Amino acid sequence: MRRLCLFVILILSGCGISWISRGKPHKAGPFGSYSQEISGTLVKFEMVRIPGGTCEVSDPSSPGGKRKMKFKGFWIGKTEVRWDEYDVFMYGLDLISKIKEGEETGEEDAISRPSRPYGNPDRGFGHEGYPAIGITFYAAEQFCNWLSRKTGRKYRLPTEAEWEYACRAGVLPPGPVDKKLLDRIAWFEENSEGKTHRVGEKEPNPWGLHDMLGNAAEWCVGMDGRPVLRGGSYKDPASDVHPAARQYQTPEWNASDPQFPKSKWWLSDAPFAGFRVLCEE
Amino acid sequence: MRREDERKTTRRDFLKKAGLAAGTITAISLVGNVRSGETGPLKVGLVGCGGRGTGAALDCMQAAPNVKVTAVADLFRERAEAAKKRLNEQGAEIKDDHVFHGFDAYKQLMETDVDIVILATPPGFRPDHFEAAVNARKHVFMEKPIAVDPVGCRRVMAAGEKAKELGLAVVAGTQRRHQKSYIETINRIKDGAIGDIAAARAYWCQGGLWVVERRPEWSDMEWQIRNWLYFTWLSGDHIVEQHIHNLDVINWVMGTHPVRAMGMGGRQVRTAPKYGNIYDHFTVDYEYPNGVHMLSMCRQIDGCANIVAEFVVGTKGSSNCSGNIWGQNPWQYRGPNPNPYVEEHKDLIESIRKGEPINETQAVAESTMTAIMGRESAYTGKVVTWDEMMRSDLSLAPKEYKFGPLPVAPVAMPGRPM
Repeated sequence: MRRLCLFVILILSGCGISWISRGKPHKAGPFGSYSQEISGTLVKFEMVRIPGGTCEVSDPSSPGGKRKMKFKGFWIGKTEVRWDEYDVFMYGLDLISKIKEGEETGEEDAISRPSRPYGNPDRGFGHEGYPAIGITFYAAEQFCNWLSRKTGRKYRLPTEAEWEYACRAGVLPPGPVDKKLLDRIAWFEENSEGKTHRVGEKEPNPWGLHDMLGNAAEWCVGMDGRPVLRGGSYKDPASDVHPAARQYQTPEWNASDPQFPKSKWWLSDAPFAGFRVLCEE
Repeated sequence: MRREDERKTTRRDFLKKAGLAAGTITAISLVGNVRSGETGPLKVGLVGCGGRGTGAALDCMQAAPNVKVTAVADLFRERAEAAKKRLNEQGAEIKDDHVFHGFDAYKQLMETDVDIVILATPPGFRPDHFEAAVNARKHVFMEKPIAVDPVGCRRVMAAGEKAKELGLAVVAGTQRRHQKSYIETINRIKDGAIGDIAAARAYWCQGGLWVVERRPEWSDMEWQIRNWLYFTWLSGDHIVEQHIHNLDVINWVMGTHPVRAMGMGGRQVRTAPKYGNIYDHFTVDYEYPNGVHMLSMCRQIDGCANIVAEFVVGTKGSSNCSGNIWGQNPWQYRGPNPNPYVEEHKDLIESIRKGEPINETQAVAESTMTAIMGRESAYTGKVVTWDEMMRSDLSLAPKEYKFGPLPVAPVAMPGRPM
């Protein structure tokens, strides 16, 4: 244990220079980025390039186990998906300009859109610039499908291996992170005041990604095919906010959804569940 | 307890009573040292088989042991059948001859041997259904709001009094009243934690809700009922249908209802015919008897600022009514917060089994009337008082319930008598 700690400290101090971006953080990631616009709206968000490489990622099938994996390059959201993008999807704001005022005829693109929440899905944490939360895995996938159709690019949720590779960015360990460092890069129980925060307020990782740890936990496709939330959230203590942190959905996550069948789009009791998108090269 | 037993005796026919005798012995031996009646079987009937009704039926079964849904009713056959299937998969025991549909389905359900009825149709039907339930001597769980107009509100208030006389329990779907974080906070406010209350605010601002597009084979009546949120005679408008939750919290804190309202509102974005005749935003200044004002805002417009909350400000501090007190006596609720949608049924069933029926009719009727008063002020552009509402003969119900033509009432225009 002591040896592991020492190892972690060594790694962190060794890569201190690469972690701390002197002065202003990279506007773009070090390997490039692009801005994704959503036609019909003024909304856009940043995608950051992640280079190909190999990484020993944590293996969910055995505690402490690792699996060496090879990755092709990909693009991934610089931040978690914000309400800014999600509202466009949910409310069909991209269609409004096409629709004559007062004479809506409904969906034109036959895309499945989220049901309308009975209440305030942002929980009063904040809206513009804040991560979309309470999102089911299904809804996150549908968002990717919609975005792909809208943009002609291939968007999807990351696999958990891709997510972890991008999260660790060649410097973070596949386990608990030094708390001082964590405080600079993540929102977690001890510093979040019980709510999510605007994306991108904390320092990015060396590859230019914000909030991979904490804030909203992020939906990924698990190695075993199961949906898994990675990285921990604003609700979790520091010890549970790290690159190998995993959560699997339980009945508690939508216990107080008063409808039956319960919503396939919204998790009434999981305000910590969000996501980010990946775009294939 | 005794009153409870007598009630059941009078309404069950002799044959059934005789048939029960043999079973009763088994039941007693099964429940062991639990006194009879405490966990005796309770049968539940569901009137209104939408997502909320079906959810409420499940919540009810989960709330306590030995509670089974045995009958369902809905205007539409496919809705009733779907609920039967879904609920039976979850442990209900609904037989084919206990699935009712049509405008009178609720009457047939009231004739079955259910002990509790869940009333979860669109609110416009609630006064009819609640009166029928009380007349049939059923305990009631009814969704909010409990009416859409002053006449309906007063009918429910009267039936609630009758329920009290008959020893029937009535719980309403204003579930914050059964939510730990609210209960604990409001108890403290009532104990003086924030001093004398000086002002209150209540909000339900969110995007739009679901809409059901009209199909050519549907009559006016059928389409309006399927798309019920958007017709004042069915939903009461969103200030009544949704914002009632927040108004109810402030009424609860104040221990009374407002005496007057001056409101404004309109229909700025949701103007298409599919949105019926309701408004999409309201702001109301309510005044309580002691001169305390409540600012109330509700909106259903996509892409605007959202907030669903209640706040009170006192002479010694303030509170969000749901877990936080700020000021001279700061406090935060950190205890468990069990699912209030189950808790409300737990409280209902416990009160029935204890023989100490709770009756929330008056509180929910007053909160419904509070919302209606705000709506009428916005619709007319006038100041509206509680006394006027209590005397008002405004009734929005159609002349008769049958599938056929039913023109949509015009959108209210403030300052222009309708």
